[in-house]
Amino acid sequence: MKKLGRLAASLLLTLVSTIVFAQNPVVAGKVRASTGDNINRISVTIKGTKIGTTTDDNGNYSLSVPSSVKFPVTLVFSGVGVVSTELTVASASDKNDATVSLSTTMADEIVVSATRTQTRALESPVTIERVGLNTIRAAPSANYYDIVGNMKGVDLVTSSLTFKTVTTRGFNGSGNTRFNQIVDGMDNQAPGLNFSVGSVIGLTELDVESMELLPGASSALYGPGGMNGTLLINSKNPFKYQGFSFQVKEGMMHTDGKYRQPSLYNNWSMRWGQKVSEKFAFKLTAEFVHAKDWLADDQRNYIRPTAANGLSVGHIGDGTRSTDPNYNGANAYGDETTADINGVLLGIGGQAPFLQPFINSLVADGPTNVSRTGYTEGQVVDPNTVNFKLGGSLNYKLNPGLELIVGGFWGTGNTVYTGSDRYSLKDLKMGQYKIELNSKNWQVRAYTTQENAGQSYNLTAASRIFNEKWKPTITFAANGAPTPQTTDWLVQYAQTYLGGMLNGLSDINAHNAARGVADVGRPEVGSSTYNQIYEQVRKTPISKGGALFLDKSDLYAVEGQWNLTDYTKKVADVLVGGNFRRFVLNSQGTLFIDTAGTIGISEYGIYAQAARNLFSDKVRFTLSARYDKNENFKGRVTPRATAVIKVAKNNNIRLSYQTAYRFPSTQQQYIRLGVGGGETLIGGLPVFHKIYDFAGNPPWELPVGSGGIKTATFNEFKPESVQSIELGYKGLVASDRLLIDAYGYVGQYTNFIVRRGYGQKINSSLPMSSSNTRVLSIPINSTGKVKTWGAGLSLEYRIGRGYFVNFNGSTDVLNGVTNGLIAYFNSPKYRYNFVLGNNGFGKDRRIGVNVTYRWQDTFMYESDFVSGEVPAYHSVDAQVTYKFPAIKSLVGIGANNLLNQYYITAMGNPSIGGLYYVRFAYNIF
Amino acid sequence: MKKFQIKNWLVKTLSALLVIVMATSCNKDVPEPTPIAPAPIVGNSIGNIINTDASFSILKAAATKAGLMPLLSDSTLNMTLFAPDDAAFAASGISAGAITVLRAGFLDTILRYHLVSQRLPSTQIGNTFPNRQSPSFLNPAPTISALLRLTNFPTTRNGAWINNIPIKQVDIVASNGYIHKVAAIVAPPQRYLWNRISTDPDMTYLTAAIVRADSGYAPTHPASLVGVLNNIGANLTVFAPKDSSMRSFLTGAIYLALVAQGVPPATAFATATALASTPAVFSNPALYAALPATSVRGIVVYHILLQRAFTNNFPTTATAYKTLLNSGIAAHPGVTLQAIFGIPGVPFASSATVKGLGNATASNIYINLPPVSDPTGTSDQHFLNGVLHKIDQVLIPQ
Repeated sequence: MKKLGRLAASLLLTLVSTIVFAQNPVVAGKVRASTGDNINRISVTIKGTKIGTTTDDNGNYSLSVPSSVKFPVTLVFSGVGVVSTELTVASASDKNDATVSLSTTMADEIVVSATRTQTRALESPVTIERVGLNTIRAAPSANYYDIVGNMKGVDLVTSSLTFKTVTTRGFNGSGNTRFNQIVDGMDNQAPGLNFSVGSVIGLTELDVESMELLPGASSALYGPGGMNGTLLINSKNPFKYQGFSFQVKEGMMHTDGKYRQPSLYNNWSMRWGQKVSEKFAFKLTAEFVHAKDWLADDQRNYIRPTAANGLSVGHIGDGTRSTDPNYNGANAYGDETTADINGVLLGIGGQAPFLQPFINSLVADGPTNVSRTGYTEGQVVDPNTVNFKLGGSLNYKLNPGLELIVGGFWGTGNTVYTGSDRYSLKDLKMGQYKIELNSKNWQVRAYTTQENAGQSYNLTAASRIFNEKWKPTITFAANGAPTPQTTDWLVQYAQTYLGGMLNGLSDINAHNAARGVADVGRPEVGSSTYNQIYEQVRKTPISKGGALFLDKSDLYAVEGQWNLTDYTKKVADVLVGGNFRRFVLNSQGTLFIDTAGTIGISEYGIYAQAARNLFSDKVRFTLSARYDKNENFKGRVTPRATAVIKVAKNNNIRLSYQTAYRFPSTQQQYIRLGVGGGETLIGGLPVFHKIYDFAGNPPWELPVGSGGIKTATFNEFKPESVQSIELGYKGLVASDRLLIDAYGYVGQYTNFIVRRGYGQKINSSLPMSSSNTRVLSIPINSTGKVKTWGAGLSLEYRIGRGYFVNFNGSTDVLNGVTNGLIAYFNSPKYRYNFVLGNNGFGKDRRIGVNVTYRWQDTFMYESDFVSGEVPAYHSVDAQVTYKFPAIKSLVGIGANNLLNQYYITAMGNPSIGGLYYVRFAYNIF
Repeated sequence: MKKFQIKNWLVKTLSALLVIVMATSCNKDVPEPTPIAPAPIVGNSIGNIINTDASFSILKAAATKAGLMPLLSDSTLNMTLFAPDDAAFAASGISAGAITVLRAGFLDTILRYHLVSQRLPSTQIGNTFPNRQSPSFLNPAPTISALLRLTNFPTTRNGAWINNIPIKQVDIVASNGYIHKVAAIVAPPQRYLWNRISTDPDMTYLTAAIVRADSGYAPTHPASLVGVLNNIGANLTVFAPKDSSMRSFLTGAIYLALVAQGVPPATAFATATALASTPAVFSNPALYAALPATSVRGIVVYHILLQRAFTNNFPTTATAYKTLLNSGIAAHPGVTLQAIFGIPGVPFASSATVKGLGNATASNIYINLPPVSDPTGTSDQHFLNGVLHKIDQVLIPQ
């Protein structure tokens, strides 16, 4: 009671003091670079508190000092590229003297994510890449997310203009699940759809303060999932970044008309941050993007792996619609449906015995598979990609050192995503909402991710079902037996084909004649019949025979962290934390096996880290460990040990051993989804063994090898893990003008999760036959060990007069693949980026220029959708800006892929061309 | 200031380098799909060969008049032509002059029957029993179905044949298929087996027996033998006993039945001879008990094979083949066929026999040498739905 009374009294006192002493003393001044230039957006904080502000465009600042803080106060000036400097202000009356001159440097960039504590980037124990405000502002990118793609060692897959996936150190892919993306502390992986929604939903460009990238295994601190890396994106705190700002980018795409008619790119964003009082601030952000999307238009013939052809991975082959009856265009949909006309031919032979010997000669060579006529992506996908993001937060300082944040992001849009098929994400909605308490030494956060697939549908499935709706391939009776009708596509095809062959036509001409007859009545794209049937198919849930997802899966998470260093610093710097997550899968049977109701999955993790300097502070050791447990899997500890050795001032060698592991994604646990090739993706949990009666109706391995049918055995489905050792160096040389960062790593993956095809009898009481076989794609742990190694080098050089030149290059290599395993490594062996820029030159340093060049090597891209070779490509981004300080504005002109040379980032994904934009920005920090 | 000059130089060099790299490399966009090239066309077309080979002058004239040359010259097609050369036309009694007289439609029909809609080198024709059934280019009723085809029956057994016509030379390779030279015109069948049987003056007993066997079945009934013998989809061989053979068989059968009833042999013989003297014996109600319809049916179906057996495709050693009787008595061994090719320089069988299980000796087929076609010939009579051989004994199943 005594304590409570004291607390009440102090609260009362605070309140009274706020009211009575509303006129707090104000410390104001100007910050300049040591070169004499104005520098803006430098953080000014009162040491030991969270009270602070930022400088304006001219370097001026003013900071009111609450009465709770007693003079003299120490101000800390810090920011990207400046040497942190402290200044003691003896009393409020000294306020006008609080002007400092800062030396710009690359030495004092501060990163947080490497150790979850503030660390100089130069002393980071693991490789880390950081993008700050200046870089974001100057980057020649239509979208800030593209900047990540130019970081060292990063691969980016562009599934559509607004859907991009980044990863590092291999195993790239659209919707990669081995790479964590954490936005303002929230994991932004969609709980049901499993991709990280970073570029679709999340921060708006004007609200991004920094992006930090941790390549390589990082789950020791950030939880299971960060097998290959973690990207952390942090927003701007409204206490620190205030005022109204907006930006308009208006651009042109498809300027050569190759894939679409020239069209506009619109990107409008705004942010309003306001500090209402020393205690309360808020912000509101919005961004709207609208454009005609890039088009995936690979019309080459894709040879899918099937039980019959024995391929374990598909490949691009010769053939076009008019030269291969079983043609399956990579980006043509509906032609995945393939059927053997031999059955119909033999049926005709039964009715017309005089043709039987002739028909026998036609069917003698095995199945005559023909595919339905498909539609191209350009025909079936709405070309409009729209993205609307909304975000905001309410920040309240309970006391100068404790901030309560209630915030969230919400986004919606139309985009196209590549997974096991191409998916039109239509009216996808996702929201992330959090409540967070931040203190100097601890933080607690609760958040939820609310996903709603909207009207999203599978393009492949929709097109296949569409084809069945306007003319069934073959009619099936209620008991599943085929009952061919003369109105069936396959029957008409087979009859016409036979007629053509009887007229002496060459095989392909007979096929084409047959297709012409069978396709009579095929709805023209855009016709009312087409629209009516297609709309019906895509709006009907998968569970009712359509292509619509009903996914409304959610994630609820609570996490906390406590820095105990104040109590333990004599021994070590100690940090502990933990989290709890609950996934609630809700797809009404359209994606998961949740037909009977939602499925919950709980997991939790705890971690601790201790760091200590040894050998006269020459070496800093850090030990971390994390334990995670998922209700469907055994718990597991992932340790990490790092050492940073100071070889000279601002020159450090880092060495780390990291482990990471990943629970199978929610889809790898519980999915049940039919996909393009006719197979069904199912989860790897034992519950599926019961659902599909593996005991009574054992599946067999596909493809069937020369040794005949091999019955499958299923071992315990385990999380996958990676062990990685990294050696790196980061240092400033050449009079602090050249920043060098280099690393090399080796990684070994165990229990690597891959999907594998299995055959199973549809009706276990009937004999094995091709018509009584279904193909199940089941995630399993590969028994083979996968090894990777790689290295990277970056050089950042300040030439002088504001010019800088950056180069980075990296390599990632997969080796030691055994057992013919398909590893889905999907990374070029080499890639490099080259940047030449100047953030201010000319009169009053108003002109900014930036040219970014990227090149990457040819590589094999393997996926469930399309596999094949992605050609090497290069691209040039460039931007010139001009500042109008009087109106706090900036105009710019820029280009992504300046040369408009189309390239693809992954098989089956769109060809990306030039995007040319003009830009007007007001009051951007 | 010197320091900055160096930096200027560096900036310019780097910029120049960047421009050079940008300008000299080129991305590879998604390539266009590669068509699968059709098989290359090698050699002359069948039409071309006919056009240039002097021995095909009559065929050339006929094909030209029939308007078939574009078809025969189309190198994108697959076909096999059983080509009559001038000698073959002459053997069939058709001279070059006759072509000018014959109707184009008639020539079209004849020639299309010589043309098979696939590439059939002799190695693929086969030498098994029965002959390969190959659809020709002749559709007898295109308005009924585009898939209707008259079929012909090539084989390389006992020589090389199409139907009962010898092939003189095989495997003249053309760009669009093969030419096999035939010794005579291969006439397309025009009638049904029933047309011949029911009108042949020496098959009146067989006709009556078939009608009797069909008692109770309308011709449209699937079990109707008349229906089958009139069905274009059927593929049969009928061994047709001549009337005198039927008569003596029936006389014997009735005589034995009467004797078994206690009728004195002399009376029985006279009565039997009188009763069996006309085909009405099958419709005589007094004999319904002695000649029940099922027994008649059993005898009749024992004379029918469910495949086309030309004498040239008979085995040279006696071999058993199933008959239509096997659709009722599956285990029945069938009839035994044998052909003898004994005449030097003549491709045709000199004799051919069929033996019933219950017969003491084999029945002889009345071989026409040289072949004589329907309606007067007696062996290898080809019809739309089968082939007919006239024999000198009734085949007895047991």
